[in-house]
Amino acid sequence: MRNEVIFFINGAEHRAGGEGVFQTLSRYLRYDQRATGTKIVCEEGDCGACTVLIGRREGKGLRYRPVNSCIQFLFQLDGTHVVTVEGLSRNGLTPLQESMVRTHGAQCGYCTPGFVMAMAAMYEGGARPASPADVRSALTGNLCRCTGYEPIIKAALDVNGQPAIDDLFPPAPIVEALPNGEGVRIGNFFKPASLAQAIEFKAAHPKCVIVQGATDFGVWCNKRGFVPEAVLSLDAVPGLDELRIEGDELHVGGRTTLAVLEEFVEGKIPQLAKILDRFGSPQIKNAGTLAGNVANASPIADSLPFLYVTGATLELSGSTGVRNVPVEKFYRGYKTLDLQPDEIITRVRIPLPAAADSLRLYKVSKRSHLDISSFTAAVLMRRRADQIESVRIAYGGVGPVVLRLPKTERFLAGRPFALETFEEAGPIARSEITPISDVRGSADFRYLLAGNVLRKFYYDVR
Amino acid sequence: MAVVGKNVPHDSARGHVSGESLYVDDIAPARGEVLVDFLWSPHARARIRSADLDAARKVPGVVALLTHRDLHHNLFGPIYKDEILLAVDECTFRGQPIVVIAAENAEAIRKARAAIVIDYEPLEPILTIDQAIAAQSFFPDPRIIRRGDADAALANAEHILEGIFENKGQDHFYLESQAALAFPEEHGALTILSSTQNPTEVQEVIAHLLGLQMNQVVVETKRMGGAFGGKECQATHPAAMAALAAQKTRRPARIAYNKDDDMHATGKRHPFQNRYRVGFNSSGEIVAAQFDLYSDGGAYADLSPAVMGRAMTHVDNAYFIPNVEIRGTVCRTNMPPNTAFRGFGGPQGATTIESVMEEIAAVLKKDALDVRRANCYGIDSRNTTPYGQIVENNTLPRLFKELPERADYKRRLAEVKRFNESSETHLKGISTTAVKFGISFNTKFLNQANALVNVYLDGSVQVSTGATEMGQGVNTKIQQVVADELGIEPERVIVMVTSTEKNNNTSATAASSAADLNGGAAVDACRRIRERMAQVFRTSTAAKGEIVFADGQVWDAADLTKKMTFDDLVGIAYRSRVSLGERGFYATPRISWDWTTGGNPFLYFTMGVACSEVLIDRFTGEMKVLRSDVLMDIGRPINPGVDRGQITGAFIQGMGWLTTEDLQYGAQGELLSHSPTTYKIPNIHDLPEVFNVDWIEHDNPVNLYGSKAVGEPPLLMSISVWCAVKHALSFVSNGEVARLRVPATSEEILMRMSHSRAAVAQGVQR
Repeated sequence: MRNEVIFFINGAEHRAGGEGVFQTLSRYLRYDQRATGTKIVCEEGDCGACTVLIGRREGKGLRYRPVNSCIQFLFQLDGTHVVTVEGLSRNGLTPLQESMVRTHGAQCGYCTPGFVMAMAAMYEGGARPASPADVRSALTGNLCRCTGYEPIIKAALDVNGQPAIDDLFPPAPIVEALPNGEGVRIGNFFKPASLAQAIEFKAAHPKCVIVQGATDFGVWCNKRGFVPEAVLSLDAVPGLDELRIEGDELHVGGRTTLAVLEEFVEGKIPQLAKILDRFGSPQIKNAGTLAGNVANASPIADSLPFLYVTGATLELSGSTGVRNVPVEKFYRGYKTLDLQPDEIITRVRIPLPAAADSLRLYKVSKRSHLDISSFTAAVLMRRRADQIESVRIAYGGVGPVVLRLPKTERFLAGRPFALETFEEAGPIARSEITPISDVRGSADFRYLLAGNVLRKFYYDVR
Repeated sequence: MAVVGKNVPHDSARGHVSGESLYVDDIAPARGEVLVDFLWSPHARARIRSADLDAARKVPGVVALLTHRDLHHNLFGPIYKDEILLAVDECTFRGQPIVVIAAENAEAIRKARAAIVIDYEPLEPILTIDQAIAAQSFFPDPRIIRRGDADAALANAEHILEGIFENKGQDHFYLESQAALAFPEEHGALTILSSTQNPTEVQEVIAHLLGLQMNQVVVETKRMGGAFGGKECQATHPAAMAALAAQKTRRPARIAYNKDDDMHATGKRHPFQNRYRVGFNSSGEIVAAQFDLYSDGGAYADLSPAVMGRAMTHVDNAYFIPNVEIRGTVCRTNMPPNTAFRGFGGPQGATTIESVMEEIAAVLKKDALDVRRANCYGIDSRNTTPYGQIVENNTLPRLFKELPERADYKRRLAEVKRFNESSETHLKGISTTAVKFGISFNTKFLNQANALVNVYLDGSVQVSTGATEMGQGVNTKIQQVVADELGIEPERVIVMVTSTEKNNNTSATAASSAADLNGGAAVDACRRIRERMAQVFRTSTAAKGEIVFADGQVWDAADLTKKMTFDDLVGIAYRSRVSLGERGFYATPRISWDWTTGGNPFLYFTMGVACSEVLIDRFTGEMKVLRSDVLMDIGRPINPGVDRGQITGAFIQGMGWLTTEDLQYGAQGELLSHSPTTYKIPNIHDLPEVFNVDWIEHDNPVNLYGSKAVGEPPLLMSISVWCAVKHALSFVSNGEVARLRVPATSEEILMRMSHSRAAVAQGVQR
């Protein structure tokens, strides 16, 4: 068991141990390493100015993905290669940087290194954006206040001969030097190499936080001064990155990231792919996991209405064995879970909607992308000719937990599939919720949406 | 080859894309440096009964805790000297600094802040314009602009429209939060590196607050990571706190706000509440109007009176109003002092009348574009503003003709109508709006600048001006102008860090006019150097013709055999003991202004017309901009690439203010949306799906190289988006005038749709 983490930055080996591993990568880069190209703006993963690439082992090489370094901690970096804007520029400006210069893609320059790194990720693996839509999608996680984005989109499309990170940093020596699959223990940080060890640690430290992507944990630490009693990483636990279709179920492992899930379900469950597209930025989806979204238990978690209406179950592994809990039963109240101190979410099992069923997922937010929802909904309907056979409805943002709407569902079942039916269902749906007013929307707005979304569903699937 | 008019890359672009460019917090810490932060008032208004700093002083790592008692003076302000840096016995806004903490590290600052014990007695605050009006809490000198007899004309008008336009504020959301670094020098002097638009103001305020002479304080600004007006006055506070810490500890002192504190403690774009009464005839022509403008100035005046002045001089926007009365009152509230923000009151004024145009069109069931054209300032008549300035060189009629053609407005308007009749799920709107933005500071004396040009022995050139670089490309434009004036390559010219040591008594980089003013001063310096060099050339070559400086060469236009390189001539001039450095000066000609008599406050106007089309989800209120077309008169751009970026950037920034940027406050005035998680500036997906930006060929003979200022005016082009939403709502407003506030968030839009539908039989449902 090692007592330090080993990672690379721009081709050079770094080791960190002790309290130092609890600092964020962005601060380590800027204030320890004086690599100030990486900027800190929001420190909550919502602006992208601190974007770096993190290369993780894939096959014999490294696969680089963009992440927000302000909510990545050094303890998460064990076995990775971090590339910053300084690394990208090691042999002079790359073609995409030259393109940014040519098209006036930089004005004040503060967001620019983050954009450059997100753009570099877009060109990884020989890929290149085919359209402005591709660029928008890849740069969802980066805010610019100066340019209006237009010149940046132009710059991103006008790039030829962009080198891969592997061309700048040949992977073989790095991969060889990086640790692989070993356990690490540094103070109250533990990265075990087996599930049994993880469960044992969790049982011994009931208040420990499982930190996988740190997309929420990072915000707690940076903004609320949260100090965890213990931190558990599942990075080295074998099997938790699984993602496959088993019969008529989709199985998502406990540390499968949202980005990997999104790539997998594209074409298979288009509605889920669509909501994952708006879930967050590439930087967030490359770090965050589906299990994390479930465990965080936010009433506005974007994945939950979908998991509710499909009837997903959570596989919880603890010292006495495995338990399967329907996701709806998992939440006992606001941020209160049916989870024993020694238990870990090891798998999410999602029954695939039947091809004939109509599924729609909705997310209403102040801004279409890179925003937290004001209101979410999932509607799954089975229909026979012009009659509604059954409906499952789940709403988020209308109470302390995501809610199923049993009265509305009962009302709709057996009625004709017609606009009037869904109009009549609106007041019933409103009677089943208890929204509050907050920074993301008033209770009135949410009441209105709760009815309107049913009519929207009618038009969407008609 | 001339470079003015060419698309030269931003002079910092290569540093920006490689991460090499340095901002204040990127500068490596000096030995012994202390970190500085401050404890701010958690109350919008409270009496400080007592403050106990003893425990905090004992926190390991704390170097100094400083309060108002440590200041030489505690009163400053750009217009009225009414603002205090550190609260004395009463806090007047939430976020107001009370104690400055200097410490060895961030941990000590956190602990010290927690250990400071202040006993507050919360007092009833004034948090809104309505509350301020009820309490008659105003800043002095309400203003009036008046022409003709509005009362009489309104009494006789065929139609009368009354309403209130309301907008929320807007956070600047510069990516680089406020920051400064202060170094103690010999004999009590200080050097400050500040992320400010206004180094002279930082210098002046620090000297005053710390009991120094201005010549003891040097302020330098290399660049800002965005500013947008937010660092015109309010970069002064962090710089002053760092300077105080440096003065008292005799150690270098650094302050860098985090984003949340920055949003809590700094002022924003002014919320306005504008009441209007407009009379018009059946063809839509306005015969008279009364505007009663109220802004929320916050706790101190800051620039609020000037912002109100610009709102009042822009409420006419592109439209002639024969009889008009404009009143402006700045409310004093317990919000952070609101301040400059790109547009400086202009957007709040112009949006008001653009909203009125939509409403007149709705009342008369006319095309709003026809209404606007009927009211547009004329070329030879109907061309005088309410304050008496003639709209010269007026391209508005041309823009109002060309842009709708380019945008295919008529066909698309018909298409929108058809769509709204048939679609049960979505609603569309389209609107064409204009901008006429006055260029020059409303305050006459600010319209001056100086520049220092040094030619070195190898023929390379340094330029220093009072302009500060915040991404807008002013340094690049000055570089281009100087290169052309001296006939050398732009690579031979470097624009230096802005420093009060080289340029004294400078105005803020603001009012869109930094290139006009500082470029003008640089031209003045270059021409004088060139004259002296030409004399040297004549002496050494016996040239008789006009001496030409171009392409790195100097020659006699009358005798091309008399020719040498610029660099060689520099050498000769030096050896002839001729000065190769010069200080240039520029003062904007022709301008005059007086609140009682009016005048010509602006040297010229930057103009434009834009058309936007939006798509709204009838069930969620979510809005998408399908297409925007922008056509402007920006004179002859010095750098088309830079100017294009100003237009696209300003448009999207304005769109943010008008749509998604929603400042939310709690009952006690606490800002709830204080980071990008809850405060939503436009994202890359919010860019209109089709975005056409262009300008007409048109000279502006009164300004630098025929150019026009372009920083602020295009922000007002985004009003077309908001008016398109308003237009869309007019289809479901059941015959009433559709009301809409700023920002038009999905919630605002949905509630407005539902409200107007509540009147119809289907109730809230349909």
